[in-house]
Amino acid sequence: MVQFTLPSNSKITEGIKHKIKEPNESPKKLVIYRWDPEDNKNPRLDTYEIDQSKCGPMVLDALMKIKNELDPSLTFRRSCREGVCGSCAMNIDGVNTLACLKSMSDVKKDIRIYPLPHMKVVKDLVPDLSKAYEQLASIKPWLERKNTNNGVAKNNGEEKTQSPEDREKLDGKWECVLCFCCTTSCPSYWWNGDEYLGPAVLLQAARWVSDSRDSERKERLKAINDSLKLYRCHSIMNCTRSCPKGLNPAKEIAGLKKAIVTEL
Amino acid sequence: MIDNRPLSPHLSIHKKVLTAVFSITHRMTGIGLSVGSILISVWFLLISLGPEYFFYFEMISQNILFKLVLLIWTIGIFYHLFNGCRKLYWSFGIGMDLKTVYTSGYVVIVLTVLSTVLVWLIL
Repeated sequence: MVQFTLPSNSKITEGIKHKIKEPNESPKKLVIYRWDPEDNKNPRLDTYEIDQSKCGPMVLDALMKIKNELDPSLTFRRSCREGVCGSCAMNIDGVNTLACLKSMSDVKKDIRIYPLPHMKVVKDLVPDLSKAYEQLASIKPWLERKNTNNGVAKNNGEEKTQSPEDREKLDGKWECVLCFCCTTSCPSYWWNGDEYLGPAVLLQAARWVSDSRDSERKERLKAINDSLKLYRCHSIMNCTRSCPKGLNPAKEIAGLKKAIVTEL
Repeated sequence: MIDNRPLSPHLSIHKKVLTAVFSITHRMTGIGLSVGSILISVWFLLISLGPEYFFYFEMISQNILFKLVLLIWTIGIFYHLFNGCRKLYWSFGIGMDLKTVYTSGYVVIVLTVLSTVLVWLIL
């Protein structure tokens, strides 16, 4: 359902302004969304000030510095700090991206950080992704090999080879780290997220549909051929705009729609 | 467990990226044009009812507000037309990389302005 305003328990209030004590050569302010499940209060915006000359260049470096030195209660997901794990996805300066790939110098004003939009918040910058993971599981993101045309039984121990040309068809799809920056930037997913699969999951659908070693291409296409699951994509293109890995979910979704029209 | 988890902010905090602005404008012009088509049928109705009814239309059309609505209508038609073409070739997966998407968006705006100016100069 389309609801433009936030429910009453989600309205954001003003928070604590943490001041830095030592002299600060190159100050930078970070305004961060905070919510603690243990106190029964609304989310708030806390302000932290850091010294950029004593901090790494990325937004994630600043978050770690704050957690280590200013406020250990600040909660966020992070792991690889180099854009391959997809954990530190959040909304920075209005756009969803990975904190580890976003340079602080890209943001001229104060750096405003929120969790991924229109998601249930577990704590601070940690959104609940269980619905999105459920949707990912629904498209069966694994290789399926039923009895092939020449009657070879599945998984007979033989190597499943793939020509370089067929392998190339997966480029632009396999690189996805499932950070859900795209999915949570999509207004269509905001309003219809319980039914619409969203760009990240559809990109994975395209990845498995395009795999030459998979025997269930048609079945996969049939499974997503649904007015809500797939066709809530109206080519808004926010997904492509947002992807921190430079992938193009919107284009892959268009490819899925085209395959459904031409092959089913 | 009682779910007291808040919903993270969305519309209010997400940057108004051009991709989304182009898209929502397409929707709004679409809705506007649907309403407009009703107005056109009302206009036809007034013509068919005869001169005494058409006189009302003549009266309203003198109003400056009417001209303004007409201008917005023209912009709406052209924007929806050109952006519609863009959406049409996207259906074939063509021109969907981000740079082309932005360029074609600007082209749509330029074409819309030019066409609107041209129509208002001719008429």
